[in-house]
Amino acid sequence: MTGSVHRRQQRAAWIFAAPVLGIIALVFVLPTLLALALSVTDYSIYALADWSNLRFVGFGNFADLLATPLFWRALRNTAIFAGLGVPMAIGTSLATALLLHDATVRWKPVWRVALFAPYVTGIVATAVVWRFVLNTRFGLLNWALAQVGVAPVDWLGDPRWSIPAILLFVTWKVFGYNMIVFTAALAAVPGELMEAARLDGAGAWTRFRHVTLPAIGPTLLLAAVMSVAGFLQLFAEPYVMTLGGPSQSTVTVLYFMFDEGFKWWNLGQASAVAFVLFVLILGVTLVQTRIGRRYEWL
Amino acid sequence: MGGRAHDPRTTRRSLIAMGAGGLTAAALATTGCLRRHDPAALTFWGTGYEGDYSPHLAAAFTTATGIPVETQSLPGTAAHEKFLTAHAGGSLPDVMMLPSGWVAEFAMIGAVAPLPDPALATDTFHGVMRPLTFAGVPHAIPWSVGSQVQFYRRDLLGEVGYDAAPLTWDGWRDVGAKLKRRHPDRFAILMFLNWWDTLITFAGQAGAYPLRDRDTRGDFRNPRYREALAFYVSLFADGYAPGVSSNEIQDPLAAFAQGYFALYPSGPTLLTDLHRRAAEIAPDRWGTARMPGPNGPGRVSAINNSIAVSATTPRPREAWALARHLTSAASELTFQRMIGSLPARRSAWTSPQLADPLLRPFAAQMELPAELPIIVEWERIRLEVQIVAERVVRGGLTIDEGLAAMDARVDAILARRRELVAAGRIA
Repeated sequence: MTGSVHRRQQRAAWIFAAPVLGIIALVFVLPTLLALALSVTDYSIYALADWSNLRFVGFGNFADLLATPLFWRALRNTAIFAGLGVPMAIGTSLATALLLHDATVRWKPVWRVALFAPYVTGIVATAVVWRFVLNTRFGLLNWALAQVGVAPVDWLGDPRWSIPAILLFVTWKVFGYNMIVFTAALAAVPGELMEAARLDGAGAWTRFRHVTLPAIGPTLLLAAVMSVAGFLQLFAEPYVMTLGGPSQSTVTVLYFMFDEGFKWWNLGQASAVAFVLFVLILGVTLVQTRIGRRYEWL
Repeated sequence: MGGRAHDPRTTRRSLIAMGAGGLTAAALATTGCLRRHDPAALTFWGTGYEGDYSPHLAAAFTTATGIPVETQSLPGTAAHEKFLTAHAGGSLPDVMMLPSGWVAEFAMIGAVAPLPDPALATDTFHGVMRPLTFAGVPHAIPWSVGSQVQFYRRDLLGEVGYDAAPLTWDGWRDVGAKLKRRHPDRFAILMFLNWWDTLITFAGQAGAYPLRDRDTRGDFRNPRYREALAFYVSLFADGYAPGVSSNEIQDPLAAFAQGYFALYPSGPTLLTDLHRRAAEIAPDRWGTARMPGPNGPGRVSAINNSIAVSATTPRPREAWALARHLTSAASELTFQRMIGSLPARRSAWTSPQLADPLLRPFAAQMELPAELPIIVEWERIRLEVQIVAERVVRGGLTIDEGLAAMDARVDAILARRRELVAAGRIA
């Protein structure tokens, strides 16, 4: 009796899960396998012209990739973007969430909407505005720096400054999302624990470190995982701000893949890049979840 | 669960859900309609001003034939991938504008149809048909020719003793030095570091051809190419030209009007902008001249455009009729008045509207285009070469390291072509 109920429930569960599993198989597993298959061929524009030009090349694309200086450059740029961008974005989100959480702040909904707005605004429109802000001669940022005696910086034209400039733009664009997530998590921090800590003489930093942080730990981990995956796939921002320039200083792995694949139709090579990126993100996420487990956030 | 099926709240909710679903479906249907109003219409894609203004030419075609035309303007920086993915996805428009350098590539992949009538390929300038011909068969009709010329500020050059733009490299450097001395915070020349045409012009002037061994290897480490790159780099190194990309000077015409630079290599559409914005820069303050060469004018880079018809169009007869209409002398002259693009049809040049002295340098230059390779990789090669040139200008590489890097990159790009040529699969 209980066995058949259990079986029935199990069947119902599979039926409910089947559509989602089907969609995942169709839009995730199948394309991944096809990309993997493509990455061991030399599919190029010549194969588009004539299928008989297609050959199996094994790991040739991967070997070529490792010998391509621009790929290493793209990998390095992406690492810089992620290494600086994730702490910048999460730090800004957390800082603003903490500020807005304070009881003395008034008109909280207004602030939340204002700070969340960049996240839902079109990237091309915001990029146009930011290109004006970052303009060397007439930009707002250089004007502000000039007020404190800093010489004008060629933000988008100097290969040394292009990554920081784009990071500034990306951080401004994305921090609102995690800010809302953190706001929700902070609301769940038990008030009596805070009260108790304060009575025990804990300062603001100690309370943050030992009460707030453990309570929002799981949320922080989730934000970190999503941000790292997001920054490793950075594409649209350099595409609209600099087209990968100057001197290819803002070419990311995904940008490199887009150029190889869609601009020049070297889809074999581009699939190899996609696969490398997939393994990279998977690896980083595994490390993050391991760290999360150690702190019992999972 | 079943017991709650009659719960009125659920019913109301499901009604709302149905309503929302219906609205979404209606919205989708509307956007579907917006994308393509009319299944009877021919489709046309173009880039730049030509794409923006093509509805004006299409209107006359619709009036004459009753066939509606839907046009779409693509951004030039994304057009190549848009056309490629459209071909792979079977959604190319019936008729399209292609920069001449892309025609052989799209002919090779079978995206564009050969001309049905050889007469369409006559009546044009020397060398214009060469890149439009694949395997000996013309695949596109020439539409506009845009040789590079120099636009110069008469008043600024007058300040340093020139009444017209210099036509030699030494003259350019002399103007650069004198203007820089007079206005240290300004520049003499504007050449965007992410645009390839000026370096290609200099190479053409110096008599360098970029490839060797049946276009399967780079030939940048030859003395003539070195001479061109050295001259190009010196203009930046000596401070005559600012090291900027096109996204840094968003409005080059305003900068030209303000005297930020006095010499500006560009194409014919700049004429239109200059006429339109005469309030910012009066017509007597600027002029046009042929690009300078080591010993006077020579071969220069040109941005020529052509009209091709998709190989898979279901209505080839109407598509070719539209292509003929767009490339007729009358249409080309209308476009010249509207957006300044210059007719590719030689017979159109007898029209008095092309007698303007400002157009004389273009007319003279048309007969001498730079000799460039016609291979599918060329589009990529010219971008990659410019990227290396940019690194040399910015000080990342010396000139000789830059030339070696150009050869290495180009040889890597041409690896597949080398194999296919060696195997005798392509000519």
